[in-house]
Amino acid sequence: MSDIQFCKRCLYSTAHPLGLTLDEEGICSGCRVHEEKDTLDWAKRWKRLESLVKPYRSQDGANYDCIIPVTGAQDSYYIVYLVKERLGLNPLLVTYNKYFNTPLGIRNLANLRIRFNCDILYQNVNPISVKKITRSTLRRFGSIYWPILAGQTVFPVQTAVRYKVPLIIWGAHQGLEQVGMFSHEHEVEMTRRYRKDHDLMGHEADDLLSIFDTLKEEDIWQYRYPDDHDLNAVGVRGIYLGNYVRWDPKAQHEQMMREYDYRTSAFNRTFDCYDHVDCFNYMNLHDQLKLFKHGFSKVTDHACREIRHGRLTRDQGLALVRHHEQAPVEYMQLFMDWLGVTQRSLEFIMDQHRNQNFWNQPVFGKWEFNGWSVRQDFNSPGYSESCDLPEIFEANDKLEHDRDAKYITIGKGFTS
Amino acid sequence: MSTLTIGVVDYGMGNHASVVQSLRDIGFRVRVSDNAAELDLVDVLVLPGVGAFPAAMATLHERGLVEYLQEKARQGRPLVGICLGMQLLASASYEHTYTVGLDLIPGDIVPFADHGVHIGWNTLEFTQHGPLWSSSDGEAFYFNHSFYYQGPAEYQVAATRHQSAFSSVIQRGSVVGLQFHPEKSQSAGKTLLKNLITGLVHA
Amino acid sequence: MLKKRLVGVVTVKNGWAVQSFGYRRYLPLGKPECLVENLDRWGADEILVQVIDRSKMGCGPDFELLERLGKLGLETPLIYAGGIRSVADGVKLIQQGADRIVVDALLHDDLVSIQELSEKLGAQALIASLPLSWQTEGLGWFDYRSQISTPFQSEVLGLIQSSVVSEVLITDWQHEGEEAGFDQKLVDAFPLKNVSIIAFGGLSKAEQIRTLLQTPSVAAVAVGNFLSYREHAIQKYKAALTGMPLRLATYQSTFSLMASTDV
Repeated sequence: MSDIQFCKRCLYSTAHPLGLTLDEEGICSGCRVHEEKDTLDWAKRWKRLESLVKPYRSQDGANYDCIIPVTGAQDSYYIVYLVKERLGLNPLLVTYNKYFNTPLGIRNLANLRIRFNCDILYQNVNPISVKKITRSTLRRFGSIYWPILAGQTVFPVQTAVRYKVPLIIWGAHQGLEQVGMFSHEHEVEMTRRYRKDHDLMGHEADDLLSIFDTLKEEDIWQYRYPDDHDLNAVGVRGIYLGNYVRWDPKAQHEQMMREYDYRTSAFNRTFDCYDHVDCFNYMNLHDQLKLFKHGFSKVTDHACREIRHGRLTRDQGLALVRHHEQAPVEYMQLFMDWLGVTQRSLEFIMDQHRNQNFWNQPVFGKWEFNGWSVRQDFNSPGYSESCDLPEIFEANDKLEHDRDAKYITIGKGFTS
Repeated sequence: MSTLTIGVVDYGMGNHASVVQSLRDIGFRVRVSDNAAELDLVDVLVLPGVGAFPAAMATLHERGLVEYLQEKARQGRPLVGICLGMQLLASASYEHTYTVGLDLIPGDIVPFADHGVHIGWNTLEFTQHGPLWSSSDGEAFYFNHSFYYQGPAEYQVAATRHQSAFSSVIQRGSVVGLQFHPEKSQSAGKTLLKNLITGLVHA
Repeated sequence: MLKKRLVGVVTVKNGWAVQSFGYRRYLPLGKPECLVENLDRWGADEILVQVIDRSKMGCGPDFELLERLGKLGLETPLIYAGGIRSVADGVKLIQQGADRIVVDALLHDDLVSIQELSEKLGAQALIASLPLSWQTEGLGWFDYRSQISTPFQSEVLGLIQSSVVSEVLITDWQHEGEEAGFDQKLVDAFPLKNVSIIAFGGLSKAEQIRTLLQTPSVAAVAVGNFLSYREHAIQKYKAALTGMPLRLATYQSTFSLMASTDV
């Protein structure tokens, strides 16, 4: 990959899996779209949002106005806040059991529905199917997250069809926020295409059947996207608040921490304490796999975001990335026990997914990292290995919350 | 219902992937071959094709398929010609040089007036009726050609209008010609192929 | 009745499907296969795949991409554009599964090959690409390799007039990607009156498309970037264009979630 090029402003490269373009000045599509956050008239855009949702308000209060997909982390609190408190809509929350649930995440989710006083639906797909799929996608794609991404992105859509609640409200569009896939003014909406292409790595539920002999229809049908005919009959539509609100996750989380008691945790592999506190693996095993496959990990996403918001310089961002990116992975044993794999076989599978463009093995068993952060030009004056690593995120809790580190089983009661 | 096997005749003219995929999606088994022994084992023959008539007839002759297809038709084996494949079923074509065809459905292949071309989705008006065709009357299918069949009215099953009405579906015995591309006509195409092929076998 | 067509365009650069703005700026979209199969499911009347960096790089058509697309089981006609250098290139593309091909560089470089392609494949398989803009002296024909606009060459117009190609793809390249940017003048002022036109570039609003479909010389309207911003974009345009000679919108159904008593 000799032609990998870096943005001059943030830390992303043209090797980004979502695609990234650089313009004549060497600034990336993600940074250019981010500039819109400081030039668009957000008051005007809020008004557009208000008129967009108006026709979806239930006339007689006999049905929900919209569906909000939530978890015990990410932007869930802020989205529910905007929809319920600011737009005055009556939402149905839906959540998909990811299995790797931290006590903190379960606590946050319960607190969410209680504090905002919302109705909520939980979906749980049976553990045997989920583990079968996870074993297959880990081995073939190097991913432990396929069932989670598939479930989180499809359960709200199925619910919209089944309950005849057409409007689904999401937070920020990942393609727009990271790589500037769309301008805010395109007002991009949820599509099946994006889900298959980017959330599911090009493989929908039925595609897994033709790839893996071990999977049967009974294992995957729950992850099927509703038919075009059903979507059209109900008028299903997924919108992103990030197109109408100046999206700033750090500021938003801090407001939710202050006003609604959202609780946060520190991580080894990143400086952000607000995202992903609901999962034992996202910032650990899943993040390690990202580094193996793509040569960069979540801390780079966080750094780019904060650089663009002007809270970190590029050098500070790079220093933070290099500080966190090789940190040890925690909670591996929990995962191995859950899936039923040994450490040796897990490491073997993981090593097979190391991207040769970013990992060398000069001596058998010893790996050398040649990923994005190593290839960056860090000889600029502001950079130093031990330069100040700003601590701008606050952790007011921990993943274990008030008990031992164990996956919380949904539906079994909080006390066991 | 036992699964029917379709033999797609491979004579080097154009790409079979779409036709094969459509047939498989419908539920048929498919073999692609130019070998007489292999094609003998199938229930229905499909002759696809894109390109020029003289070149197509030349390669059919080279592979010994002209006599073979004429023999199978005589024996009542169902044969479906698609686009150029339909045109090859006729007596002769005026494309480039006058070239003789398979002569399974007598008639000629002539150019549209003024170098006309017929491109896009156009409707079928069935002039003969029956279970093979009832689901497809008035449906639109994708056409992409500059020559068309002109022949006796008794062989016309459906007409389509471009410049004037011409035969878009022809049939004689169990030999059928489709001027359009059912494999490029989305669900209408699949429905027609399914009904046609099942109907031909159980006729 | 022969219908007019709503063509879905997928622009490919560097192996990526991209949005293209004014032939200058590009935003990533994803894997070309995902966009193409999506348009197939939505029921586009034709799908145009244009690979825009091939001629510049001198590497010929992207046969590998076409092969990958062939494995998708598409049921929609496929038009390929990008990098066609010779008769052999054109013939191979049709053999590999393209239904029709678009020539651009060849129009500048080698009219004889276009003639030969027409004899081998039939005029119906050939489309001439004409990126146009409105200059002070009239219509300017753009060469994207040199980035220069010139007046039409009479041999090119002669070739098109003599029905060697079946249609011309008029692209308003300056307004590409711009909301309602397409300049209707490019179609109205096109010098050849009996040639079928596919209009492209900055088409986003149903009213513009309606005006074009009502123009006798326009056989098809192509939309690119604007198909990627919402679900069922093709169907939504068709629903807004009822009364126009277009195939109706279709909504695919395989595994319905709705009880059969719901009609």
